[in-house]
Formats: sequence, C-alpha cells, structure tokens
Amino acid sequence: MSRILCVDDEPAILRLLSVVLAHDGHEAVTAATGREAMARLAEGRIDAVLLDLGLPDRDGLELVSAIRAAGPVPVIVVSARSEVTEKVAALDLGASDYLVKPFDGDELRARLRAVLRQHGGPGSADAPVIHGPVTIDPARHTVTVDGRPVSLTPREFAVLQCLAEAGGRIVTHAALLEQVWGKAHRQDVEYLRVVVRALRLKIEADPAQPRLLRNEPGIGYRLEAA
Amino acid sequence: MRFRLLPYLEALAGLVAVTWLAVAQPAVLGLASAALLFLLPVLLAATRGGVGPGLFAALGGAAAYNFFLIEPRFTFQIHRFDNLVSVFVLVAVALVTSRLATRLTAREAEAREQARLSAEVAELSALLAGSPASSALDKGIAALTERYGAVRLLDGAHLPERDAAFSSLDLSAAAWSAHNGDTTGHGTEVMPAADWTFLRLAPKNRTDSGIAAVARPSDGGTRAPVELDHLAELALLLGQCRDRDLLGRERRERERLEQGDELRRTFLASLAHDFRTPLTVLSGRLSELASTSEAARDALGAAHRLERLMADLIGAARLESGAIAPAHDSIDLTDAVAAACEALAVPPDITLTRAVPADLPFAAGDPVLLHHVLVNLIDNALRHARQQVALHAEAAQDHILLHVDDDGPGIPEAECERIFQRFQRLDGNDRESGSGLGLAIVRGFAEAMGMTATASSAPLGGARLTLAMTAYRAALQ
Repeated sequence: MSRILCVDDEPAILRLLSVVLAHDGHEAVTAATGREAMARLAEGRIDAVLLDLGLPDRDGLELVSAIRAAGPVPVIVVSARSEVTEKVAALDLGASDYLVKPFDGDELRARLRAVLRQHGGPGSADAPVIHGPVTIDPARHTVTVDGRPVSLTPREFAVLQCLAEAGGRIVTHAALLEQVWGKAHRQDVEYLRVVVRALRLKIEADPAQPRLLRNEPGIGYRLEAA
Repeated sequence: MRFRLLPYLEALAGLVAVTWLAVAQPAVLGLASAALLFLLPVLLAATRGGVGPGLFAALGGAAAYNFFLIEPRFTFQIHRFDNLVSVFVLVAVALVTSRLATRLTAREAEAREQARLSAEVAELSALLAGSPASSALDKGIAALTERYGAVRLLDGAHLPERDAAFSSLDLSAAAWSAHNGDTTGHGTEVMPAADWTFLRLAPKNRTDSGIAAVARPSDGGTRAPVELDHLAELALLLGQCRDRDLLGRERRERERLEQGDELRRTFLASLAHDFRTPLTVLSGRLSELASTSEAARDALGAAHRLERLMADLIGAARLESGAIAPAHDSIDLTDAVAAACEALAVPPDITLTRAVPADLPFAAGDPVLLHHVLVNLIDNALRHARQQVALHAEAAQDHILLHVDDDGPGIPEAECERIFQRFQRLDGNDRESGSGLGLAIVRGFAEAMGMTATASSAPLGGARLTLAMTAYRAALQ
C-alpha cells in the first residue's frame, strides 16, 4: 500500500518493523544510517519515515529537520530515548508523532494510519473534519458528537479544531497553547487543562474515562478516533 | 635612652681641635671669632648626640674659652660681663639644637617605620595575590611567621579544642575575638595573659568566624598597640586571600558534582537505551506470535514485566544518585489516571474501576514521574487483587488524595511502612512477579515531588495505597 522508510542501526529492529508493517500491506524500505536514509528519500516514492534518533553518523533530531526540509514526507520517531525533552524537541522540529521503544505493533500501525491519512487526503481548510464520532465544521463553527450538536466556547472550539486537524497525531502543549492563546502563553499548561476538562464534559461519553481526548504525560494531547 | 660614650668623645675632640686652632692662631682669629668657633662643636654634639653631649660641649667650650683665651688666661676668672654672655649663648644653643635634632630624628624614625610597615603590607599583598589562592595563603602565612613568630588561621566556629598550642585561656580569647570582632589576647586589654593574639580575618561588619592567631614574641616582650594595629591590617589581607581560596574550592567542588551528575544522567539514559533495543525486538516478535501461541503469550507477559523491572531499576538508580529534578506542573488527575491505566494490561479476571471527579482541583507535580508512580501503584494492586481494583480520587482541604484499593490479602498494620522499603515483600513470598522496587520508587518519586504515599486497609478488604498531592494553586485569569 505505502512505502515506509525505516531508519535504525539495529538490523533486528529493521526486520521487526518490516514484519509489523507487512500486516497493513506496507512495504518497508530500510536504512541503517542518516546518510543512507537521505539517499533513499531522494530516490522518491516514500510515504512516511519511521526514524530512530540514535544513529551512528548523525543526530536523529537533526535528521528530523533535514527530512522535513526535503519534502512533505511525515516522520514518526521510534526511539529508545524516553526523556520528555527529547520527545517535545522532535515534535517541535516537525516530527508527526513519537513512539518509545519497546513499542506495541498495533499502536505503531494505528499511528502510521493516522499520519498517512493526514498526508494523503486533499484537505481543504473549510471542509468538515470528521474524527470518529466527532464532526467539526470550521465554516459554520459547529461540532456534533454522534450527530448531536454541542455548543462550545471559542477557545474550546479552537483547541478541538487544532487536535482534529492533527488527525490523531499528538500535539504538544506548547503548540496548542501557541495556536489558541498566542505565543506568550506557551508555558501556561493549566489554561489548556481547564479547556480540555470542559471539552471532555461536552464531548466524552464518560469524562472521567476519556476515550477521545487523550493525554500523554508531559507531552501533549491527541484526539483519538475511538 | 642608653648612655652612649661616642658623642661625648666626638664633642671632646671637637673642643680640643677648636681650642688648639684658637690658641695657635690668635693673630688670625680675633677673640670674638674664636668665641663663634666654639659654637661648632656644640652644634655638632647636640645634633648627633642630643642634650647630654650638647651641654657637655657647651660647658666644655665655655670653660676652654675662659681658660685659654680670656684674660687672665689659664684661669677660670671672668672679668667682663660679655664673657659670661658667651657662656650662656653656648648653653642655650646646645639646648635648642639638641631639642630640634632629637625631634627631627624621632620623626625620621617614625617615617622609616611607616615605610617599613607599608612595604610589608605591599609585600604580603603581592604574595597573597599569587595563584592558586591556597598556596598563596600558605606563602603569606610563612612570610608572617618569619617576621612575627607563629601565625595560625582558625575558624572561630570550630576552635581546635585539643590543640596543645592553645590553652583554655587562649581558646576563650579566640572565641571572644570570633564572636565580638575585637582583637584579643596578648598585648590587648581582653585577656592579655593569653599566649597568642587573636585578630579578625574579616571586617567587623561581616559575620565571619575566621581569626588569625599570632604567637607572643619569642623574646618575651609585649606587642605594642601600633604593632597590633598593623597586624590587624595584615590579618584582613590574609582574610581576603582565604575568601578567594574558599570561593575557588566551592567552585571546584560544584563543578565536580555537576560533572558527576551529568555523568550519572548520561549513564542512566544510555543504560535505559541499551535495555530497550533488545526488549523491543523481543516483545515485538513475541506479540506477532502471541495470537497463535500460548507459549509466546507467556513469554510476552514476561517481556513486559522485564520492561517495567528495568524502568524501576533505572528509577531506583536515579533516586539513589539524586539525579531527579522534578517539574512543577499542573496535572489533571483524569489525564494522569487514564494514561497510567492505558500503560498497563489488566488481567481478564480483574475489573479495574476508576472514579475521578470532574471538578477535582489540579494537582502540582511532574507528569512523567507521577505517571511512573501511578503505573507502579496500579500494577501493585493488580498483582495482589483477587477480582477488583478500584481507583478513586477526592479533594481534602489543600490536598488531593488518590486511593488505589484492591481486594487482595491486605497489609497488616505493622507492615504498612515496611512495604515502601526496598526489596520488601510480605511473607517472604518471592514467587510474585514484583521487583520489590515498585513501591520504594512510588515513595521516592512521590517525595521528590512533595507528595506522600501511605498504606492502610481498603474497604474492599485488601490494601489501600493512598497518594496525597498538593493542589496546584497558580492563579487562573
């Protein structure tokens, strides 16, 4: 279905990724170094990149920027580095998502599907965004959950729209805050927490056990297509 | 003043020379000129020798003048009043000149002494400016020891009680100096019987317990106040150098610690990294097989436990090395509990219920550390439960409490503290799958974030583990 470039210096991981991707019918193209990865990318026909940050020849974060600069190919970082700062840095540099090793095969495929859907679709700014039970119509500023309209405040709407546009990808706290509140409020996570809590009361079936608005501790939120 | 013979001899020689000249050359020198000539030895003697030799020369000169030159010669008879005047003049000249000369000499000596002291200050400053500060300080102390006798630096807060060099009186004087900032001990008014003089290393207005001890002069004399003032000045110079030395030491120590921390962090991060790569292959491959093979399912479960065991070990190492700097963020417990529950596989025979009120205040903490804490708490409950694990959160005054209850065997009251210690499992049961680290990490991370973790009995019959968090009080606009 899609050609996925897998970049990792560990051959066993590359073989594992090939098997995991084959489940969804994807073809894995492998590279063991940053240089090799850029060469494969230049050959074209790559739909997404699964990137390990610990490469022998190049810093992985630097490679994220390089791949993003080379073209519109989405990058999912698959790394053994689990520090929050590392994840946020990768996402800020343009990575679409971040998975920590050891990863779950199902989860990897789900994230990849979200990323591919995002980049494959035609995407018009005013087209309604449908995300699981949630439908967001930016033109009319309306949101329906399971067909039932809900009324949101402008902030709530903006946060939901940001998450929906990311199509299941994680959006960092800082990115959400910057887009909805402005640059000056990049650090004010509690603003976001208040709005997310209110949103959950309106759109989640059980706000205490959120299925749509998912949090990743210390990183950000994603809108899950439950 | 000591008696010195030389000026008298000089005066005598001068008198003899002048008398000889006057007697031998009467034709050339008139009587009046001869009288003037006698002023010379008087001036000379008074300038060089002071009052004594001056008067000696004046009286001797008058006598010689009278005896050898005034008629009748070779007698001491005085016939004319003006001859008497010349005697008076000589005496007066002797007195005035000697006074002036003495004063001048004294002032000169004073200036010389002042210059010597200034030179000493400059010399010491130069010595102490050297680097490194510690060896400069040693050199400075050595230089002072050479000039003034033994010099030691003491810390008034930790006086050398057992040092044979200091008597109890010395120590009292030292303590007084450190406490009140005065110069004490030998040569001063405070405990002058002490064998040492104690001087402050820092100006009086600074709280500093450093003092310099200078031994009593070895010749048995007493130090003059001027000398003590000078020593006080030198002690301040020593103090400045000591400050420089201490600052340098502190900086080096800090750098050493920082490097150590950095090294530990890097080591732990690379350790985690090295564990995760093979674990990824292991659990990835096993999960591919798990749908068809029960053996693979068991192995996968073991691989997952290994993962968490590794996370716990690294967490314990981080706690041990103090390499934890918790963030202080606002946390919605709904988020935190959801993320922790997702991270765990709930066994099919256990139900996990959660009740987190939607209006619960935000908690203050580090989201990543809290995640680890919650995963361990819930995992612990899942491992001990028979059928049920219940999470519920409540607000209590300034705190937010999260209870994790199970319906397992529970914890005897006496053991409620012990379970948070490392490698503790109840009943010596080591077949359970826990690492024995999980709850120790719960407590360690919780305390690092300013939270508390306690154990008690649950309404379900098993154990209740409670995490108490502080509410996040940042003002919202």
